[in-house]
Amino acid sequence: MTALRRLRPPDPAVLGRDLLRWGSAVVIGLAGFAFFVAAVGADPFEALSAMWRAAVVDPIGPGEVLVYAAPVILAALAVAIPARAGLWNLGGEGQITMGVVGATVASHMIPSSLDSWAALPLLAVGAAIAGAIWCGIAAVLRVSVNLNEAISSLLLSYVALRVLDYLVNGPWKDPGSLGIPQAEPLPASQQLPLLDWLPVFGGGRLHAGILVAVLALAVVLFASRRTVWGFRLRVVGGNPEAARRAGLPVKQLIITAMLAGGAIAGLAGFVQLTGVEGAAKGGIAGVYGFLGFLVSWLGRHDPVAILIGAVVVGGIAVGGDALQIDAGLPAASINILLALLLLAVLGRRGRARGAEG
Amino acid sequence: MTPTERTAFTPMRVIRTLAALTAALTLAVAAAGCGDDETSGSTDTGAAASGEKTKVGFIYVGPKDDFGYNQAAFEGSEAAAAELGNIELLQAESVPEDAGVERVMERMISQGAKVLFPTSYGYLKYAEAVAAKHPDVVVVHQGGLESKPGAPNFGTYFGTVYEPVYLAGIAAGKATKTNKLGYIVAFPIPQTLANVNAFELGAKSVNPKATTTVVFTASWCDPGKQAQAATALISQKVDVLTQHQDCTKTIIETAERAGVSSVGYHYDASSLAPKGWLTGSEWNWGPMYTDIITTALEGKFEGSPYDGDYRVGLQTGDNPFVQSPFGPGVDDATKAEIETAKAKLADTGIFTGPLKDQSGKEVVPAGKTLTYDEVEQMNFLVEGVVGNIPK
Repeated sequence: MTALRRLRPPDPAVLGRDLLRWGSAVVIGLAGFAFFVAAVGADPFEALSAMWRAAVVDPIGPGEVLVYAAPVILAALAVAIPARAGLWNLGGEGQITMGVVGATVASHMIPSSLDSWAALPLLAVGAAIAGAIWCGIAAVLRVSVNLNEAISSLLLSYVALRVLDYLVNGPWKDPGSLGIPQAEPLPASQQLPLLDWLPVFGGGRLHAGILVAVLALAVVLFASRRTVWGFRLRVVGGNPEAARRAGLPVKQLIITAMLAGGAIAGLAGFVQLTGVEGAAKGGIAGVYGFLGFLVSWLGRHDPVAILIGAVVVGGIAVGGDALQIDAGLPAASINILLALLLLAVLGRRGRARGAEG
Repeated sequence: MTPTERTAFTPMRVIRTLAALTAALTLAVAAAGCGDDETSGSTDTGAAASGEKTKVGFIYVGPKDDFGYNQAAFEGSEAAAAELGNIELLQAESVPEDAGVERVMERMISQGAKVLFPTSYGYLKYAEAVAAKHPDVVVVHQGGLESKPGAPNFGTYFGTVYEPVYLAGIAAGKATKTNKLGYIVAFPIPQTLANVNAFELGAKSVNPKATTTVVFTASWCDPGKQAQAATALISQKVDVLTQHQDCTKTIIETAERAGVSSVGYHYDASSLAPKGWLTGSEWNWGPMYTDIITTALEGKFEGSPYDGDYRVGLQTGDNPFVQSPFGPGVDDATKAEIETAKAKLADTGIFTGPLKDQSGKEVVPAGKTLTYDEVEQMNFLVEGVVGNIPK
């Protein structure tokens, strides 16, 4: 056990350095953005302060940031766990979508009179199973025919989107929706409660999904740092051949890592379905799968860095509304800001890595 | 990186790093938040202060320069603001049809908006949710139907889009040489089905052999899918293309390049197709927006015609959806025929029985004309339309 603990990755140090790089990169990115804003003839000061007001000062701002961050955290964890074993899960969007499908199937299987405390976990289980199956397909293809899991998981996303489109246009279509392809709304007992009693964050749409995300994050933190499974995943990620020669069940580890990632992505679908939309519909996975991938890689798959990264991304998204509404900038400016921040973070990290090497 | 390298971690180092980060963020925040007090102060005083402009919010699903639905609505908002003078517009474009639009509406309200125009079909349930939370703000949804019983601060409005589309169908029916018209549609909702039917009926009224082939793209604006659909239709010998899409540029340009005719929708895009442009239909939202805003700001919204499902057309004489200018391919005889049909429509309406659906089943009996409300429930395609409603 002592040996294990010594080998345990000292993530806090990495995290500390990452935080510093994130912080300085945010400042550099914002400065670059200010030049862009000035170039299109708007006041950069007003633009940035409008973002700040929307995300932080506005009474519902902080809550909205967490509403946005919850699925990003889960989608990022879905990338981080397989990444520990050296695997690329690019199928977040599809697994989130299948999570929505799984939760809706679970909703159809239980009586609508069932109380929330029993119904919601059942929907979550349905979502996790469906997400795990979807990611599991890529894992099985990887260990059986050595098909690259990055490609298969990415392509499976398109299949998942079609599956949901079919369901909401056909068997599940709500006759009351006047042509909008979406399923019938879930009963109130199957929707996540609002956290409107919370100070600072309450009052808006903040729902219990952020608690699901934080709980999942805690479980992943524990599993990756304190369990033999988490340790073995890192060994496989470090050198799969060495792991195999050391007698580790590599195939089994690959499959379980992908299943765990898929299950957590499925939970992101559960959170969006039961906390935000209340009914299955196309496009519900949004860009969360993509953002989760970015956040996980920027945070080096560290759960705590993922938490911070997801909140930053949520803040940028919520603040981005204000760029249009308050400052009158075009809608695309938020993408420019996000791109500048990413480049700045990657640039800082590249330099740091070069210095270390 | 070996594990031993990484154990260089000490609590002191983390604390130092965190302190540095906090300092950096505080600086950034202080810089960003500087103008804060003045700005939020001025919002708090609201419209009560003299000379303060009243804020009105507009939300669009696509870009406001799309040569289509969103540009028409955007220009309508500007026209209304110019007309009213004391209005400040809050604009948000490219907002997807999901719960995120609630956040955008909430932001506009916290910025002091008194009237909100969420202008896309899929915003309906979110707009209703926001209206329920903010009884002091008037929310009017473009194109939807309110759930009953409706909220006193919520309503929907639209023109009868299928009337000018019927007239454009006449131009198309006259222009086609292959007797094949193409209609590229976003979603199979009652509004779009009514348009396809009106187009086919208009074409058939002057050319009994004309058929309309319909393709659904499942997106309000996906230029890739639009180009694909347009190319496929042209290869099937379709020689007049029209559409029910938010952005119209791609299809009209594709048609022009292929040398086939095009009929516009939402916006006058004749400049994109100097040769093939026949006609089209476009929005003139300014007057209706102006009237809705005036009604709301005078506190007379509740109980007004807008507090419900407000629909106007040729039969009421003030359709905000009007015909676009004719292109060079439309001769004077056709123009005269369209004028005659227009006068007749104002009298009788378009969907007059006997009307058969694609399977030959009679859906509107002889002697009956569908009312505006009934057209809003349309779920069939008429005889002569090729292609199915996606199930």
